[in-house]
Amino acid sequence: MPHEEKALYGPDERVEIQLSVNGTPRRGAAQPRRTLADFLRDELQLTGTHLGCEHGVCGACTVMVDGDPVRSCLMLAVQAHGREVVTIEGLAGDGTMGPLQEAMWEEHSFQCGFCTPGMLIQLSHLLQSNPTPNETEVRDSISGNLCRCTGYESIVRGAMAAAKRLSDAD
Amino acid sequence: MPTEADAVPGHRPAPVGERFTGSSVKRMEDPSLLTGRAFFVADARLPGMLHASFVRSPLPHARVLSVDVSRALAAPGVVAVLDGPQMAKLAAPHGVTGELGQAEDGPAFSILATDKVRLVGDPVVLVVAEDRYLAEDACDLVEVDYEDLPPLVTAEQALAPGAALVFDSLQGNLVSAGERQEFGDVAKAFSRADLVVSAEIRQHRHQNVPMEGRGIVASFDKESGSLLVNAATQGVNTTRTALAEQLGLPLDKVRVQAFDIGGSFGLKFGASREEVAVCAASMMLARPVAWIEDRYENLSASGQAREESFRAQAAVTREGLVLGLTVEMLIDAGAYPGLAAMVVPTVREMVPGPYRMEALAFQATVAATNKASYVAYRGPWASETFLRERLMDLIAGELRVEPLELRLRNVAQRGQNPLRMVTGPSLAGLTTKESLERMAELVDLADFRRRQRSALEQGRHLGIGFATFIEPAPGPRALDKPPDPEEMEHVRVSLEEDGRLLVFTAQMPHGQGHRTTLAQIAADQFGVGLSQVTVVVGDTESAPPGFGTGGSRSATMTGGATLHAARRLRAKVLEVAGQLVDVSPDRLEIRDGQVFRAGMPTGLLTVAEVARAAKDGSRLPDGVDRDLEETAVFDGGEGGWSGGTHCAQVEVDRETGQVEVLRYLVVEDCGELINPAVVEGQIRGGVAQGIGAVLLERSVYDDTGQFLSGTLMDYLLPTAHDIPPIEIHHLQSVLLDQDVNFRGVGEGGMIAAPAAVCNAIADALAPLGVEIKEQHLPPTRILELIARAQG
Amino acid sequence: MKPPAFSYARPTSLEEALLMLSENGPDARILAGGQSLIPMLSLRLARPALLVDLARIPALDGIELGNDSVSISCMVRESQAERSEALLRRIPILRDTLPLIGHEAIRNRGTLVGSLCHADPAAELPAVALALDAVVIARSSAGGTRRIAARDFFLGPYTTSLREDELVTAVELADRPWQGACFLEVSRRRGDFAMAGLAAFLTLEGGAIRRLRLSFCATGDRPTLWTEEDLQVGGLDLDDGVVEHLARVTSTALEPIADVHGSASYKKQLAAVLVRRGLRLAQSRARAGATAEPSGAR
Repeated sequence: MPHEEKALYGPDERVEIQLSVNGTPRRGAAQPRRTLADFLRDELQLTGTHLGCEHGVCGACTVMVDGDPVRSCLMLAVQAHGREVVTIEGLAGDGTMGPLQEAMWEEHSFQCGFCTPGMLIQLSHLLQSNPTPNETEVRDSISGNLCRCTGYESIVRGAMAAAKRLSDAD
Repeated sequence: MPTEADAVPGHRPAPVGERFTGSSVKRMEDPSLLTGRAFFVADARLPGMLHASFVRSPLPHARVLSVDVSRALAAPGVVAVLDGPQMAKLAAPHGVTGELGQAEDGPAFSILATDKVRLVGDPVVLVVAEDRYLAEDACDLVEVDYEDLPPLVTAEQALAPGAALVFDSLQGNLVSAGERQEFGDVAKAFSRADLVVSAEIRQHRHQNVPMEGRGIVASFDKESGSLLVNAATQGVNTTRTALAEQLGLPLDKVRVQAFDIGGSFGLKFGASREEVAVCAASMMLARPVAWIEDRYENLSASGQAREESFRAQAAVTREGLVLGLTVEMLIDAGAYPGLAAMVVPTVREMVPGPYRMEALAFQATVAATNKASYVAYRGPWASETFLRERLMDLIAGELRVEPLELRLRNVAQRGQNPLRMVTGPSLAGLTTKESLERMAELVDLADFRRRQRSALEQGRHLGIGFATFIEPAPGPRALDKPPDPEEMEHVRVSLEEDGRLLVFTAQMPHGQGHRTTLAQIAADQFGVGLSQVTVVVGDTESAPPGFGTGGSRSATMTGGATLHAARRLRAKVLEVAGQLVDVSPDRLEIRDGQVFRAGMPTGLLTVAEVARAAKDGSRLPDGVDRDLEETAVFDGGEGGWSGGTHCAQVEVDRETGQVEVLRYLVVEDCGELINPAVVEGQIRGGVAQGIGAVLLERSVYDDTGQFLSGTLMDYLLPTAHDIPPIEIHHLQSVLLDQDVNFRGVGEGGMIAAPAAVCNAIADALAPLGVEIKEQHLPPTRILELIARAQG
Repeated sequence: MKPPAFSYARPTSLEEALLMLSENGPDARILAGGQSLIPMLSLRLARPALLVDLARIPALDGIELGNDSVSISCMVRESQAERSEALLRRIPILRDTLPLIGHEAIRNRGTLVGSLCHADPAAELPAVALALDAVVIARSSAGGTRRIAARDFFLGPYTTSLREDELVTAVELADRPWQGACFLEVSRRRGDFAMAGLAAFLTLEGGAIRRLRLSFCATGDRPTLWTEEDLQVGGLDLDDGVVEHLARVTSTALEPIADVHGSASYKKQLAAVLVRRGLRLAQSRARAGATAEPSGAR
């Protein structure tokens, strides 16, 4: 990505940000203080990423940056310059559902759906790195993602069903 | 198990459950949630939309001496800054509910603080700016000069003689001092008692904490004088009524819409002070204004629930029969008390629960304090269950009887006459005894006791706890007054010319899946596929009367209304179809969206064709009802109790005080299941909140009234590691209605779980002499209780 | 809950970064992983005028395995360390410790050096660093390089001996072989800060204590370390009596701070429990000669 980077930006300056989001090159600008979550939601109109606490505890805002799940409320937009970001909108293409989403639909994994983006990002990363997790590993993976509706069992079941789908498909 | 005699004579199991009803069909809600295409209030982006932020009180109780907004007004991007007196000109004081609302000189809840602040988090100034970041910057520039007043941090402090007043017009900070009421012969019950068991039992302050906080986008159109609102609410109708009233707008000038809602659990009803303020700002500026509550605001100022304490005495016979209770209840209603006094009648009525006790004396006092206001949280009256179920275990302990056995000795049974609580309500259809018996089969208590003893020999403390409950879902008909249609949930069903069946309801699903469950009922009753049904929610323009989603009403009342409306519409459609194909309607049926001659394999015409013919009318004789729309209500019928028994099995680490929930079982009767996966999700979610209440969650104030749990590192929600798999067993219900035997299940998990978990912990710690009389048992408290018991 | 405005710099060399720090003094904060700093910004508990982001400076994410110490550079993320088998073999206690820090998504950004510089009294890594005679490498444009021993580094809650113009480029952990080591903590939930935590290191000689270190977190205003010399237990058999003695002596001396999660006396009790459990675990690992087994908090 050709761009000119300055070493110092003022507080009101809008810093140009170029990054890849869900496989597509995107560009935008943001004040240094704007979080990646707000940048995705406001500047790029990707409102699938939710803000549940804005202090890094609830996990609803989890996105993938360079292949790893991170809290987008604990990252500034300027820090995402030049990175590859994946959000819930990019888990499958064109509003369709991938095997993880299909399995979670089947298992009634979610209720209100507010924690869903973070859970899906976290679990899709788990299934990439560990295609046959056990229940404890699933619970470990989402231990930093709060859900207030379900008691987690349906989410765990959905993840296990997704793992099975994925391994059956291989 | 219920017998035939229990059921309504002539009850037909069909047609409910023919196709979709009773099956865990996938939710219509999910595809958009799973792909990031859902639309929550924070996702709204309107042209010219502004963002609101509040300056909030850092003090629990103080006089507001001066407010200087000049620097804030001059800050970049700021459009308006409103203080309390300015806001008072735009909006009437907040609707005060309950007894206070009726008092002539009762307190007025100003939208923003005017003379005083009454809790940490009290809104003082509203800033409206181009962006939330800028709005928060400007909030930092507002200078408020306060004069400290003595904080009232507990109900006891507030009621002490000479205490400072939260509201000058609320003498003694007394929101309500209910008279002692007696049901049955209390004196006689106590005179017959072999022993009296007394206990003071405390329920701590905790709160809803939905993953999405409150939020509203208000857009006022100056030309038409109308206000369009996108709100995170449990009921658009109630929100509209509240907003119209406080903003001085006619009802028809307020339209409330709601889309996806990120949970609520009782929090998002009507219109809060902040939401009224945001609408007032939009009206003043004639621009859309959004306010998305952040987590600090949510924890400190959205409201908190059930800080209550009880002094109870139980009159008990040697055989363990509980003859009667006396209960004194004290409620800490927080700073702007409304709902707290309203739960008292429900608590009073519910105290006997499913037990046969013959007498109850009850008295409740409600006090205002300088803490967050009391709001409804999943089973708002639930502390009666905690009180009763903890008390049952204390009694069992005194008598050295197994707690499960004590419950079996006391539980009311069908066939007993009269089958009602001593406080009045009918217990028709009660299956508590069956739930206890089923639980006994499932847990093998003797085996548990053996394992418990051998664990104890190794210094490990295992415990088992039971709690049994009934949940008005929606509860039996009141005896003294006929059902009022205005208090019911209306459902309107219409057949569109494209063949779609539209179901209009005032329900506002926020996790419960009504778009799916009501469609299941309508599809079966009418005779179309599920994909042909659309449940329309979230718009006062189309919603029929109804207060919204809460009180576990929707399964019975809205489900029942949907069933009847769809069934009536079906008859109407068959009437029209009969004219069109010249066959008597009673020889026609609708299947898969087509009209058939009964039992024949080939369809005669589609329901879409019927709808178009009805609209057109030219092929129909005069006098045929061509209006393919039906509205129905359902009052809940004779039944109305959900209920069951929970069992928790725990291990307590006596060195660290940590509690692990090893196993959790639920035996539940919530009538016929519309969608078992939805039902079980409600139960598991409720149990998780109940486990959280005991082990993790507490809204904390220090002795000076400072709020200490303002982040999710302080207010701890259960994680995936804290909640075990929850085993659910459904009980065969007693069917009391010809058609509608669905019952609510939204609150039961939360109602019973705290008592089950506390009883299990008490059981685990009994060998150490520990007695549990409170609900919140974090590790630090468990070690304190052990140390105290060990002297 | 949005961060206040600040200027933002992303220097591409260490020298440039150091110059910015020296010019802006107390108004500048370093942004490494940001997992402690950004929440403080969002809660507006910190209001720096300038953030200096280290992400563009090359070669700050290395783990160097020296002969008798390992050096961890300031941009090494906790998850990177977790995946470095070579590091975990050299400092096996990190196998216990790193998974206890927050959650995966936090560790993917958070850095080890950042945790030391943040100096949260409840954080795990400062206690480990203290026990391992860590040396913090601090650079400044005026003063060159300063090597600060961990025992001189942690001064109190969120307070270190770093000067305003200094930047920690790396931490060196002494790699003295221990026969058995473990990290144990008690927290409210998995991933939360500890209510009490203990790093225990043990080397035995014929069943007797030859070397011992007990380093606590969350039980005072900074991590607290005892050695076998401090405790005068060198040469003693590690039997029940000695374990009990150590639990009592250490926990009695600690001065934990009460918070919403636990009273001070509760945390002292936990410290004693952790000493008992930690010594037993370290002892069994020492005997097995396997210090690498993972262990949980409970």
